[in-house]
Amino acid sequence: MGSLIVLIILVVLALYAVSVYNRIVAYEKRYQNAWSQIDVQLKRRADLVPNLVETVKGYAAHEQQVFEEVARSRQAMMNAHSVNESAEAANMMSAALGRLFAIAENYPQLRANENFMMLQEELSGVENKIAYARQFYNDAVMQYNTLIETVPAVFLAGPMGKQPAVFLQIPEGDRNVPQVSFGDTPPPPQA
Amino acid sequence: MSDAAPRLPDRFTEPTTGRRIDLLGYQAANRRNSWLLALVTMALLVAIAYLLAQVTDPGATLFFVGVALLIGAGQAVAGFWFSDRIALAAAGARPATVEEHRYLVNVSEAVAIGAGVPMPKVYVIDSPAPNAFATGRDPEHAAIAVTTGLIELLDRQELEGVVAHEMAHIRNYDVRFMSMLVATLGALLVLRDLFLRWGYFGGGGRRRGGRDSNGKGQGIALVVLLVLLVVSPIVAALVRFAVSRQREYLADAAAAWITRNPEGLARALEKLRAYSGPRLEVSEAVRSMFFVNPELNLNATGMLATHPPIEERIRRLRRM
Repeated sequence: MGSLIVLIILVVLALYAVSVYNRIVAYEKRYQNAWSQIDVQLKRRADLVPNLVETVKGYAAHEQQVFEEVARSRQAMMNAHSVNESAEAANMMSAALGRLFAIAENYPQLRANENFMMLQEELSGVENKIAYARQFYNDAVMQYNTLIETVPAVFLAGPMGKQPAVFLQIPEGDRNVPQVSFGDTPPPPQA
Repeated sequence: MSDAAPRLPDRFTEPTTGRRIDLLGYQAANRRNSWLLALVTMALLVAIAYLLAQVTDPGATLFFVGVALLIGAGQAVAGFWFSDRIALAAAGARPATVEEHRYLVNVSEAVAIGAGVPMPKVYVIDSPAPNAFATGRDPEHAAIAVTTGLIELLDRQELEGVVAHEMAHIRNYDVRFMSMLVATLGALLVLRDLFLRWGYFGGGGRRRGGRDSNGKGQGIALVVLLVLLVVSPIVAALVRFAVSRQREYLADAAAAWITRNPEGLARALEKLRAYSGPRLEVSEAVRSMFFVNPELNLNATGMLATHPPIEERIRRLRRM
């Protein structure tokens, strides 16, 4: 009788361990998927660039410097191999696009162009999605890290060789919304 | 900077009441309650049918009970599988295309990424009245509908807040629970109307026919039946309204988390409060599914209000 109880306890423990293992894997996949989601949006932004450049050139052909900057950033994005390189390239493109739109402000006919307006909205949308994707990635990383550092998953994470994931440093002014807190902890310092 | 992010999105403290809310638990409770509700409804329908049979024709009890089970099951199934299509059709919503509503589709996609849910189908309602609702039994089969009035009224951050609120409803399985509740209410009302109309002609005749020894028993059963049929829809309505308000607050909080911007949603609510144009005409059943009360009775308080008073919603958001 005693050995039966022990057996039952062991089976229950084993099942529990399986569910914890599965949760670790699920959270890991989630943050990895979130990472590729960022890439998807960055690529969509890069794909919009040629059309945008052509449209602007139609009205402001002599603004060569900006066009070169944009072209270089796009090249950098395509050549980026490591995480750091693509992050840098993405920032370069954000800056270049910012300058392009600043220049477009001086050309009212360009601003009224339908194609330009459509692209402007598309780019605005994509920038927003990039920001949300980065935010979600950080959320997913936080959940994963918290999971593998707390009981009971912490006991399994070691043997599984799971390391905490790295947070993304969100560039300045990416999304101009105030940081908020949701309860006990005070709001984090403004970036 | 980013590793100082406040807390898990699955658990947070509601600022005003100080209550710890476990979102995962809440979602699981919603799913569980949906099933419980379906079972309770069926039991109620069976009880009513049984009493009905006792009062009129005890031999046909099995038949009555069988019909009640069928109606109950049918309503539950309709509430679960088809509520989204029914709601969208009832609101006169049409799918939003990228060409026509690029802005709305972009905003929805962005918020879906932030919320970590698959993007719901986006619909548009042609109406100057600003409003929105969400429908769908789970995040994989979901849709949100937004009026053209709302798109024009709000800026990007505000629209994000509203869309995030609706997606929070979907993610919390609120919609599943609410649709089943509405389906339940529908079933009870149908049965009540049937009985009232039928009781006039059929039941009266039988009692007059004879069998006085059963008269008292039948009388009691009749009274119980009547009470049941009158009270249950009232209770169901009260539950629906009370439950609606807690859900709205929760969805507001979740939306503020998703967008990291409670001010956007607060401003959207303020703009809606100030709106005084034509209203949205919708049937009573779907009214509680909307973002704000379509009747625009926005500061209504008390037990029968479908939404929490808008002042309170704004205040809670600003305190986050």
